[in-house]
Formats: sequence, C-alpha cells, structure tokens
Amino acid sequence: MAMEEREGECPRKPVSSSADQYPLDANCYKILDEIGRGVSAIVYKAICIPMDSSVVAIKAIDLEKSRADFDSVRREAKTMTLFRHPNILRAHCSFTVDRRLWVVMPFMSGGSLQSIIASSFPDGLPEPCIATVLKEILSALSYLHGQGHLHRDIKAGNILVDSNGSVKLADFGVSASIYESNLTHGLGRSSSSSSLRLTDFTGTPYWMAPEVIHSHTGYGFKADIWSFGITALELAHGRPPLSDLPPSKSLIMKITKRFRFSDHYEKTKDSKKKRFSKSFKDMVGLCLDQDPSKRPSAEKLLKHPFFRNCKGPEFLVKNVLLGLPAVEQRFKGAKIHSKNDEDDEDADDDDSSSGENVKQRRISGWNFNEEGFELDPVFPSDQQETGDKMGKQVTFGDEIVIQEKGSDGSPQGSNSSPAQHETEAASAGVGIDMGVVLGSLLFLRKSLDDQRQQVAQMIASIGGEDALETSREDQLMQAIEKLRVEVESERKKRVAAEMELEFFKLQLSNEC
Amino acid sequence: MKSLFKSKPKTPADLVRQTRDLLIFIDTGGSDTKESKRDEKMTQVSKLIRELKQVLYGDSQSEPVSEACAQLTQEFFRENTLRLLILCLPKLNLETRKDATQVVANLQRQQVQSRLIACDYLEKNIDLMDILIAGYEDIDLALHYGAMLRECIRHQSVARYVLESEHMRKFFDYIRLPNFDIASDAAATFKELLTRHKSTVAEFLSKNYDWFFAEYNSKLLESTNYITRRQAVKVMPICFFVVFIGPFAWAVGDILLDRSNSAVMTRYVSSLDNLRILMNLLRESSKSIQIEAFHVFKLFAANQNKPADIVGILVTNRSKLLRLFADFKTEKEDEQFEADKAIVVKEIAALEPK
Repeated sequence: MAMEEREGECPRKPVSSSADQYPLDANCYKILDEIGRGVSAIVYKAICIPMDSSVVAIKAIDLEKSRADFDSVRREAKTMTLFRHPNILRAHCSFTVDRRLWVVMPFMSGGSLQSIIASSFPDGLPEPCIATVLKEILSALSYLHGQGHLHRDIKAGNILVDSNGSVKLADFGVSASIYESNLTHGLGRSSSSSSLRLTDFTGTPYWMAPEVIHSHTGYGFKADIWSFGITALELAHGRPPLSDLPPSKSLIMKITKRFRFSDHYEKTKDSKKKRFSKSFKDMVGLCLDQDPSKRPSAEKLLKHPFFRNCKGPEFLVKNVLLGLPAVEQRFKGAKIHSKNDEDDEDADDDDSSSGENVKQRRISGWNFNEEGFELDPVFPSDQQETGDKMGKQVTFGDEIVIQEKGSDGSPQGSNSSPAQHETEAASAGVGIDMGVVLGSLLFLRKSLDDQRQQVAQMIASIGGEDALETSREDQLMQAIEKLRVEVESERKKRVAAEMELEFFKLQLSNEC
Repeated sequence: MKSLFKSKPKTPADLVRQTRDLLIFIDTGGSDTKESKRDEKMTQVSKLIRELKQVLYGDSQSEPVSEACAQLTQEFFRENTLRLLILCLPKLNLETRKDATQVVANLQRQQVQSRLIACDYLEKNIDLMDILIAGYEDIDLALHYGAMLRECIRHQSVARYVLESEHMRKFFDYIRLPNFDIASDAAATFKELLTRHKSTVAEFLSKNYDWFFAEYNSKLLESTNYITRRQAVKVMPICFFVVFIGPFAWAVGDILLDRSNSAVMTRYVSSLDNLRILMNLLRESSKSIQIEAFHVFKLFAANQNKPADIVGILVTNRSKLLRLFADFKTEKEDEQFEADKAIVVKEIAALEPK
C-alpha cells in the first residue's frame, strides 16, 4: 500500500498513511498508565514496542457496554481513519482485544484543555491563549464541515494539546455525516432546508445548542458553532456557563439550594471581574445567536478580528504547558478530588450518542449576555416570548413516541444508515415527531439517574445524622423514581412504535 | 468558492465530460507525460470531482437542484464514467477519494425520469462489483470501495449478483480482518446483503443453505474472537425474522402460530449442530451475546415439530436451561423479551422425551 500512496502523487496529498503502519496486535504495545476514563472507555498512555517504543495513547472501548449495534463505533473508527487535518486527532489503527476495541492514537502529552484548566487555570485561560486554541479548533471545524461532518461534541474536554503546543480536536464518538445519514435528495422527499440536518440527539448538554435540545427540525453545522461559543466561555471562565445549575428547576433546584452543588462559577464571576476584549465578546456573541442561521460558519468565523493576531504553538507551550503536571498525574489527582467530574475526562464514553454519561438538564433557551460575558438561562416557565422559536416543550403521555436514531442502530439492530431516509420518510408519513420526543426522554431519564445518584451520595455524605433531612431526601428519591417509571413506560411505547417503523422501512425497501 | 471567478459556469454535463476526459488520461497512465503535467491533471480532477459533489449535495449556500442532479446523472451513466472513476480511485488522493465515494453513493439514488439509471448501468457493468468487493483486501481502498458497494447493493439485482457470486464466501474472511475499521465495514455490508431484499435473501439461503450455514457456524459463531461472534449472532435473528417471518413477528408467540412456512428455517431449527452452537453462545459470559443468542434459541424451542434428537437435548439440559432463564434479564426491562422467555420456559418445561 505504500506504493499505492506514492503513485497517487498530488500536490495537496496529505502525509502518507503508510508511514505509520502501527501493528494490530496488543502484544506490541506496553501500557504505562491510565490517563482518562469514561463509562465505557479507558484511555491509556502506552508505548508501541516495534515502532521504536514510541509513545501512543490507546482508547480502549468496552464493546460489551456499547449499544446493540456497532454503527457509532464503526463511524468513529472510520472518521478517525479517513480524516486528515493538522487539528484533528487521527487514529493510527484500531483493532479488537477480546471485548475491547483499541484505538491507537498519537499521545497528546498536554492532555485535554479541560484537564489543563482544572489543574492549573481554575479561573480560565488568558485571552491570547484562548484565541490561539480556538483558531486551531475553528480550522478543524471548517475542515470537518467541508467534509459534511458534524462533530457534535465540541468542548474543552475534547480539545487536546501536545507538548509542542499543537492543538487537536478529538473524540468522534458522536459525530455524524450528512452524507451517510441523510441522503434524501432526489427521492422526492421535500428536503428544502432540512437536507443538512440531523435529528439525532447527541452531545454534552452544557455545550448543546438550543435547537439540538428543542427543535423539531434537527440541527446542522451551526450547532457545532454554538458549542464552539460555549467552549470559548468555558476556556474564559474555567467551566461552561450554567454548569452550577442542575437539570430540572422544579425538582432539583431545591436540592441545589440546600446543598450547593457548586457555586464555583458564581464565585469566580464575582470575585474576579475578568476583563475580556470587545472582539472576543463579539465573536462569542455571534456564535451564541439563538437563531442558528445567524451564526457564522466556521470558515467565516476564522476571519473574525478576534483571530487576527493569534500566537503560534510556542506561545501555548510557554503560557499554558509550562509547569503543568503530567497528564497521568493530573488524571490521578482528578480521580481523587472529584469522582463526579469523571465524565468530563477526555475518555468520554462512546455511547454518549444517546446523551448518556453526561449531566443534563432542561433549560428552554439561553440568552447570551454580552456585557457580563455569560449565558443567562431561560427556564421553561419564563419563556413566553422566546418560546415559540426554540422552546417546544416535550409532552408526556398521549404522544406516540418513536425512536429516531437510525444511524446509531435501533435496539433490534436491523437499522443501518443507508436506510435512514426511509425511517424518516416513514415517520413523516405517520405524522409523528420522533427525534425530539425520544431525545428529550433519554435526556430526562439520564438526568434523573444522575440526580438520583447525586442525591444518594448526598444522603451518604450526611450519613443520616438528621432524620428529618433523610426523610425529605426519601421523598425526593421517590419523586425521582416515579418519574423514572414514567420515562420507562414511554420508552416501552417507543420500542413498540419502533417495531412498526422497522416494518414500514422494510416495506419501503422491498418496494424499491 | 473559486468558481465564482470563472467566466462561464460549466453545466453539470460539462463537469462530467471534463472529469471523464481527465480520468481517461489518468487511467491510461500518461506515463510518457511529464510529472508536472500529471500533477496538474490530478489537481484538476480533484477539483472537478469536488464540483460534482457540490452539484449533488449542495453546499452551505445552496441546496441541490434536482434538474442539475438529473443532468449530471444522465451524463455520468451515458458513458463509462463510473468504471473509470472506480478504476482510477487508487490514483486519486485521499480527499478526492472521499469526494468520489460520496458522488458514487449519491448517484445510486438519483432518478432520471423516475428511473434509477444507476441500476440499469450497474446491471450492464456488474463486474464492477468484483472490483469493489476485492477492495476489502486493500487497506487504502477498503473503506471507499466498501461504502460504494453498500450503496450499490441497494439495487436488488445488484445485491442478487453479489449474493450469488463467489464473493459471498470472502465476506466470512473480511469480517474477521484484524483492522477494526475494515472488518466492521465488511460486516455492515454483509448484514445489508442478508437483510435488505427479502425475496432475494430467501432464495439465496435456500439455494446455498449447506455451505452458508457451515461457514456461518464455523467461522463466525464459533470464532474465538468476541466481536465476530457478537456481530454474527446479532445478524442471524434479524435475517431470519426479516426474511421469513416479517418484522411484526418478533414475539415468539407469533412463531408458534407457524407463520413462517419456510423450509430454510425449519431446517435450521431442526439441526442438532445449530442447537449445540446456540446453547454454547447462551452460556457465554457476555450478556450481549447471550441475549442475541436467545433470540435465535427461541426459534428452536418454539418449533412445533421438534425432531426427537432436539427434544432429547432440550430435555437433558432442561434444568440447566430453566435455571439460566430464571435469572436471565436484559439490562433494561423489556416486556417482549420477558414474554418470549416465558413461552420458551413453558415450552421446555412441558417437553416429554420422545
């Protein structure tokens, strides 16, 4: 294959893949340390013995914990094989080791920006560093979008830094291709503006665009731009906006008030009035426009004045990486300090395609407050004016719910991406809006699970020393449990409807 | 973007013609031409293929225009452009290969005067499938050819060709390739072949029962590789249900009504060897494999005309099976699964040795 690559010489040919033929055999690698962990994946630092013991990162994904189908895992592997860009983390190779899929990647010694911030910049990075990092990420986004790909999980935890200051976007576990899952043109479906849209429900909620959470029409590249804006705030403040707020106002806010999950963001905001440049605020403001169509494309954003005088990678080496504890040390530290933050590690679960493994909550919209450089939440109860644009609430009970995540494989697994347009067509025929309902349900379920867990931890932490408190907790637990049951029954309905959908799909495909 | 500055816009048909001319040049080698000239042609063809893609998919500024797509498709299949593109793919750079793959994928669904002319073309040039399938043997081409192949087998006649060709045997090896990305791509194609076109698959399975299930058992279900077993045991019930029973009949209760009426499936569930393999899978420590295996196993239990030796095995293992099913649960509660399990348990409990 080395020959093949060389024959196809072309000026803009990327670095030949054959230069790094990493062995497909676990015995060729020696694991040194664990550097990240998610629900179904662990990231190791390792050396590849036959390759001069070069250092690599291995993401070991537990396939047993992966969804029924491997489609999302397959897609990630494919993406990482076929995408070549200086700011996108490539896979050297991937192969299975018993029940785990090993994805061998270059080792990025700086680790994720999330872990860098957590360890050394709790109040956020200096603005010039932010500009430098974001410009690189924009360049990656521009390439991805040009390829028809959405990343769908842009956040500091997925931005990796190497020892030389180079910045790469990682984790394509939830990314999607408009070419794979939405080839509906020419088949008569009125695709007008929806052709570049997906209705899967994925990503990490704090970074999620309003239309991803609420819209019936799916979302496009502009959702990545929103997440990019949130990431900018994350880098500026040290954590994503609103991360001090729990998922559901009605139930959980009470708990928050009593126990103060984390008012960290509030504090830093008050104590250190950070000053940010006008152009930075303007840039973020553009990304966080409620109307996706008004957000600039990645390509356009690259020309924004904020990115005009960006520094090079050396600048990051000096100002960010210098004196930073090694990534494995940071991981160990983080593990001790906060178990709850684990899912922010860059070993994010691959299953997160359905919004699991993440903290979630419901906010009907976000208004960017440029002055304060923050997002102000709009809760469902106070969304009268903004409501109809983005804030359709999910109703439980009488709606028929159908799972709309063809590309990720249904629980029955007979779904494959080329068939998705039929899924959509069929559902359109039945006149049900599926993605949103399902998404919101999954969302709610997971958020309830998380909350339950946290409540349980809190109960444990107060050790039942106050009987009254405990019984209130019990009540809350019961309330949560009740909701969970409700969600579960919705899920069953969905499964039933899904079978029906499967049937329509088959009918369609047999008619073809 | 750059095309904004061009004097006159090319028509979609022009784009195809120019691409074809360049591909002919590249295909014939152009070995006597200067390197710089060849580089230039490569750059040109990359640009043209990107433009073809833009016509078919639109871009951030514009939606695809169906008239333009139809023109492009017509011109594309009027001559041998697809063959040239497939043959030249190894010589194109990575970005262009990806563009070309997306173009070919899209063309499979384009209708010209409500006909899928790609299908007509492929029927006359069916040997192209041989090239695409062989792509799984080349690390650099596998994912591109694989993606094209999956689009082509959307056409039933093309799928029939692939199913009935010798290539079908090779999939048992491709699925087991060490490169995960390639193996899983091959598995996706394999699954598509076995589940997409009901009547074709049914015909294929009845004609090729012996070798197919022998291979399926020995190479896939009894593989030492976890992921091979898991993928194989997953595809099987889907294939059976889709092809022989219909998707509404996932419930084992429906099978008891004997709607299947299929010789293949009756034969399958009457085989002691198949039962043995499935029972081994049921004993696996992997929950996912166990659950999938159950979906096949239930067919054996539900069969109303069980041969004596099958009954014998089930009776011999009755207590073990019942114990297994007693704490056999899906991760999330699943009514259907529980209902199926109840029926299977009842069937097994009621068995009398013949």
